[in-house]
Amino acid sequence: MFDLIIRSLTQRKMRTGLTIFGIALGIFAVVVMGGMSEHSNLTFDRSMKLTAEMIRVMPDTSLGGSLDDSKVKEVRRVPGVSDAYGLLMMPLDQENLAMGFGGDMVVGIAPEKQRVALKDTKLTDGRLLVEGDGNRAVIGSSIAREFKLKVGDELEVKSKRLQRATSITHVRNFTVVGILEYTGSFYDSMVTIPLDTAQKFYEQEKKVSVVLAYAEQDADPEDLSKRIELSVDNVKTISPGELRKQVEGQLVIFSLITVSAAVLAALIGGLSVMNTMLMSVSERTKEFGILKALGAERKDILFMTMGEAALMGIIGGIFGIAIGGTLVYYLNDILASKGTALFDITPRLVVVALLFATILGMVCGTYPAYRATRMSPMEALRYE
Amino acid sequence: MSNNENNGKQPKNDEPILRIMNLRKTYMQGKIPVRALDGVSFDVKKGEFLSIVGPSGSGKSTLLSMIGLLDKPTEGSVFIDGVEISRAKESEAPKVRREKIGFVFQHFNLLSTLSAMENVDIAMRFTGVPKNKRRERAFELLTRVGLGDRVNHKPSELSGGQQQRVSIARALANNPAIILADEPTGAVDTKTREVIVELLRGLSERGQTIIVVTHDMDVAQRTDRIITMRDGMIASDISSGEKK
Ligand SMILES: Nc1ncnc2c1ncn2[C@@H]1O[C@H](COP(=O)(O)OP(=O)(O)OP(=O)(O)O)[C@@H](O)[C@H]1O
Ligand SMILES: [Mg+2]
Repeated sequence: MFDLIIRSLTQRKMRTGLTIFGIALGIFAVVVMGGMSEHSNLTFDRSMKLTAEMIRVMPDTSLGGSLDDSKVKEVRRVPGVSDAYGLLMMPLDQENLAMGFGGDMVVGIAPEKQRVALKDTKLTDGRLLVEGDGNRAVIGSSIAREFKLKVGDELEVKSKRLQRATSITHVRNFTVVGILEYTGSFYDSMVTIPLDTAQKFYEQEKKVSVVLAYAEQDADPEDLSKRIELSVDNVKTISPGELRKQVEGQLVIFSLITVSAAVLAALIGGLSVMNTMLMSVSERTKEFGILKALGAERKDILFMTMGEAALMGIIGGIFGIAIGGTLVYYLNDILASKGTALFDITPRLVVVALLFATILGMVCGTYPAYRATRMSPMEALRYE
Repeated sequence: MSNNENNGKQPKNDEPILRIMNLRKTYMQGKIPVRALDGVSFDVKKGEFLSIVGPSGSGKSTLLSMIGLLDKPTEGSVFIDGVEISRAKESEAPKVRREKIGFVFQHFNLLSTLSAMENVDIAMRFTGVPKNKRRERAFELLTRVGLGDRVNHKPSELSGGQQQRVSIARALANNPAIILADEPTGAVDTKTREVIVELLRGLSERGQTIIVVTHDMDVAQRTDRIITMRDGMIASDISSGEKK
């Protein structure tokens, strides 16, 4: 029967082509939007893995601001805390304050704490920071790509400080001493410099943006998080669990928006299959009548029409994935030179897109197929 | 067909291959009932070459489609090989159509996208014959109707007579009990008509039961028996033996 399906599709090349194009467009949207959602999911997952047992201690104001260096000691004294250290975080690009997801950051960290912070992240080149490193930096893989940096190269960092109505900009060159491997987390867009250098450069003497605390082996990080908040004045904490919940909530919304936009696009593709199949079925009423007179069963006719619809779905799906994949590949390439990636085409996304295309084709072929089987052979044969 | 009085009974040699009993078919044309068949009964013996003639609208095509299970009668029964096929369920009808019946249509009704070979082949697909067997048989049948050298031609590349011969080969594909031909020579010239009639004649001599509907008395004269229909009823039923 398969050859008959192919025959029927190739017989009406233009129409089949347009239908496949419609599906491909829909699946293209699924792949691109899905790729975006997958990327944010993966980044989140990897970031969570790297920072799983950290408790974030931040100033207890809605305005951000910073914490005094002394808070580090206070946090460390809370029973159950095995270690704590401060970070000073600043956006790398002072003009474009997009910190957090995707934005490049400068992070000041005590050199001896860098290994702990990075967990098992490896260096592709060079070394980590050491005591007394001064104007040296270890950079993430995206930073290295964006600014085309190798170990030994210099990276220009600006700091900006408001003084009355004017702002004074300081510029300093940092020598790259180490480059981190790709992690797929926010580590990739980090420039790490020694904490003391950072505090002086940004004129944030004795200040840190956040204190990271680690729980002792037998202490529950969620409990400990609450205890820190109670024992240390003017701070609020985010436990790993809370962070996960916060970000997951945002991710779900993001995924819902992207995926539903994509599904909508794909449904429009599905309608084009339905339309094509309805036309094709009514055009072939007589043909089905002949086949029935020859003894074809309902299921034979169903198989043929559904098969056509499914095949158009599959081919459209493959094209959509291929075009979407190619576009995403080049977009990621362009974006990578700006330090970010936006898309991840995961195997599960490919499988879901292909399944979706096939099922879409079949579902939209069901009604036309049903119409094809319903007519009595007599009526069908009289049809002109 | 479980609740059949003939169930389990082997058809005897003198038992007709086709028995039609009091067949009626009423179509509704809007609110007006049209009696296309109004009590038709006759038997056909195995190997008989029968023609049905009569004016347009007398119910000839309707009769064939009842025999071929393309439509259901309003009343009455059709038996093939002692089995009442007119009682077959919708799900059983395809099996009856492909095993008992071979159709030949006035306008050939070949599938235009398929070659001669594939048009014959497709009739056997629904029976589940393996591919190589189908090809073999299709080739053999096309050779028998004189188209052994045209197997890969599309219908559009064949003359009307050749197309009709392909459709006869297709009708023979599953060794049907009966071949039903509705004006098989209606769309071909006189010379081709001779070829078609000779072909059917030859098949009948080999024991194939054939029923031909025709307007052409020349064709009817060359069959064993002529049934004339008028207003959905049989007006006369003459076997060639009686004529002579
Ligand atoms: N599907 C249908 N719906 C309504 N009326 C029908 C239908 N099929 C046939 N008829 C009517 O039944 C009658 C018999 O039609 P049928 O086609 O059997 O005639 P016929 O003898 O084959 O005629 P012809 O020689 O012109 O082919 C006609 O009056 C026709 O109008
Ligand atoms: Mg007719």
